[in-house]
Amino acid sequence: MQSVSRAARILAATIMSMALVGCGTNTGASGAVAGPSGGPGSSSAAGASDGGAAVSSAPLTGTITVWAMGNEGTKLATLADAFTKANPGVKVNVTPVDWGQAVTKLQTAIAGGTTPDVSQMGTDMMGQFGANGMFDAAPADIDSSAFFQSAWNTNMVDGTIVGVPWYVETRLLYYRTDIAAKAGITAAPATWDDLKAMAKAMQSKGGAKYGISLGTKNWQEYLPFLWSNGGDVVDGSGNPVLNSPQAVEALTFYNSFFQEGLTPKSVPEGFDITPAFVKGDNPMFFSGPWHLGLIKAAGGASFDGKWAIAPMPKKVTATSFVGGSNMVVFKASKNKEAAWAFVKFLSEPTTQALWYKTVTDLPAVQSAWTDPAVAADPNVKMFGDQLKDTKAQPVSATWSELSAALNDTLEKMTVGGISPQAAADQMQQSAMTIGTK
Amino acid sequence: MTAPALSRRNVADRGTSPVAARRGWRKDLTGWAFAAPFVILFGVFLALPIVAALVLSFTSFGLRDLSNPIGASFVGIDNYSRLLGDAKFWKALGNTVYFVVVGVPLTLAIGLLIASALNRGITRFRTAFRVGYYLPVITSIVAIAVVWRFLLNPDVGLVNVLLRSVGINGPSWLADKNLAMPSIIAMAVWRNLGFAMVVFIAGLQAIPAILYEAASIDGAGRWQAFRNVTLPMLRPTILFMLVITTIGYLQLFEEPFVMTAGGPLDATLSVTMYMYQQGFTFFHQGYASAIAYVLFVIVAVIAFLQFRFLRSDD
Repeated sequence: MQSVSRAARILAATIMSMALVGCGTNTGASGAVAGPSGGPGSSSAAGASDGGAAVSSAPLTGTITVWAMGNEGTKLATLADAFTKANPGVKVNVTPVDWGQAVTKLQTAIAGGTTPDVSQMGTDMMGQFGANGMFDAAPADIDSSAFFQSAWNTNMVDGTIVGVPWYVETRLLYYRTDIAAKAGITAAPATWDDLKAMAKAMQSKGGAKYGISLGTKNWQEYLPFLWSNGGDVVDGSGNPVLNSPQAVEALTFYNSFFQEGLTPKSVPEGFDITPAFVKGDNPMFFSGPWHLGLIKAAGGASFDGKWAIAPMPKKVTATSFVGGSNMVVFKASKNKEAAWAFVKFLSEPTTQALWYKTVTDLPAVQSAWTDPAVAADPNVKMFGDQLKDTKAQPVSATWSELSAALNDTLEKMTVGGISPQAAADQMQQSAMTIGTK
Repeated sequence: MTAPALSRRNVADRGTSPVAARRGWRKDLTGWAFAAPFVILFGVFLALPIVAALVLSFTSFGLRDLSNPIGASFVGIDNYSRLLGDAKFWKALGNTVYFVVVGVPLTLAIGLLIASALNRGITRFRTAFRVGYYLPVITSIVAIAVVWRFLLNPDVGLVNVLLRSVGINGPSWLADKNLAMPSIIAMAVWRNLGFAMVVFIAGLQAIPAILYEAASIDGAGRWQAFRNVTLPMLRPTILFMLVITTIGYLQLFEEPFVMTAGGPLDATLSVTMYMYQQGFTFFHQGYASAIAYVLFVIVAVIAFLQFRFLRSDD
């Protein structure tokens, strides 16, 4: 408590807490990585026509430094070796970066002029860093249609494509089939009404403590409902539309789970859904592919057959959230040719399939999904199907601030009890003040 | 070589000959060389950032100014006037004041109580008690906060498990907006009273036993001796602890950062956390610097007032 050590304490707390939240994507903690909203019609690759030099056929030489975060950072050397085998003249130095420190390290590198040649970039970081003109425009010869559209869109910063999708993730419904059966339900919920009825039945007849688990303050869980109801964060020209009638309706639906006691209003910080799901307290939740492994590990063999995953329930559409990471090349790179060659190598279908086998990251390239290794698992395939109907948040320098404001407002509604209309108006107000471009 | 240089101090100071002047210069240099490690560290890691933050607080410095810091635009007192109308800042300030007003007296009172008990009453296992109370002070605050988060977990935490065993259904301590701050205060008091205890024991031992003897001859009971001997004699120690603890508590950060992330509904958001959020999550480093300076002024004013009103009269 001695005041002298305040800086050291803050630093230690920061580092420690970063270690705690560092594995964001893999633990399913909120606020991990995200993707683009790709407002209506914003998807054309033509904007990239002023892209960097096309990769020539002459042998590549030199050294490139690649930053990759979290689990990806520790395993990327596998792919780097494969790349070096094909391009013996290029040396690839992989620097693993902790997710929690990624933003700070990037800031420091930008301030000090020591940016790497290539870096992994969470889709929600694109606007923040890309808006500074730090990234090199992507070569025009990259085929945008090879990727999931919504993932590709996260690379569009100020009308220019400045990166290439590397891997993706999306959210599906995890539910307990045994509890559902006990409640007299045998099919996965196909619509919003089904979802609600199922949550109610699981709680009242299935013996579960709650019907579902939804985040009290997690924009990543709210936005799929907004999108599925035909709403969006911004309209076609980038102006916020967070208090549209569709948004109010989506908020009303989301909020009803809290007000009807189907999901807990008070969730301790650091709440882990996995044991609660296995125990049966929360028999449904929305999450990404990492939970397939977590549930298997927590539930053991005897838990097999007691749970399943299902696509987003449908309203107008059945749109889920897309996140993941892109690969960018920094403008300051001295070896852009080799850098882009490496990025392109990462997005080849065979490399994407190899990467899935290495770290089970879902391929961002659609054709990689036909690889037997990816296609074999029906659960993984379901994620692949959902990816065709996904959206991401707007690519905006202000997104980190706006998303925090959305979380604040969601909590005021789910826990604090303000009306969905008031919440929608507050969100719109925040978006107007903070900006969405 | 340095020892002779120092021993010639007086000669060099008064000398006017070129040789003496050179020696004087060399003496200065030696002094500076010894002071250099501190001066450099202080300059680079404290003085420079303090000045830089003051400058930053008058700019709109953000992420896009990183590669060209000189290009950040000067906005005058905009950041400060914006703070005045920032409801979240006032909420954070209110929370911090709540934490200080409840936490500081509790820490000092319990610390003094334990110190008195260990100093006069309890003699067996005295060392073990002292170590036990002091241990949390030297343990990483983050580790403590993580452990307390588990202890206070509503379903599997030790606190609620114990409560349940006596038939009480414990609340969700950290997720309830009325209980989150008291929970954090309880933890902070538990962690910091060890330091208060050690300082108070030192202060108590400096009080001459003769005063207590005199008091008891005059017929003073324990309470009167405490009131009329201990408290006045401890006044400088209490003042010191009051100032140090208040300054420390005004900078509340790690406890809510680790345990509640400022929630629920901003009930545990502190000024320092809000500053951190603005500066390092949203990259509004100009605005964050302004918050830092407002906090600095508050700390300075409170410390000044405490000295002013509580300084011993003599």
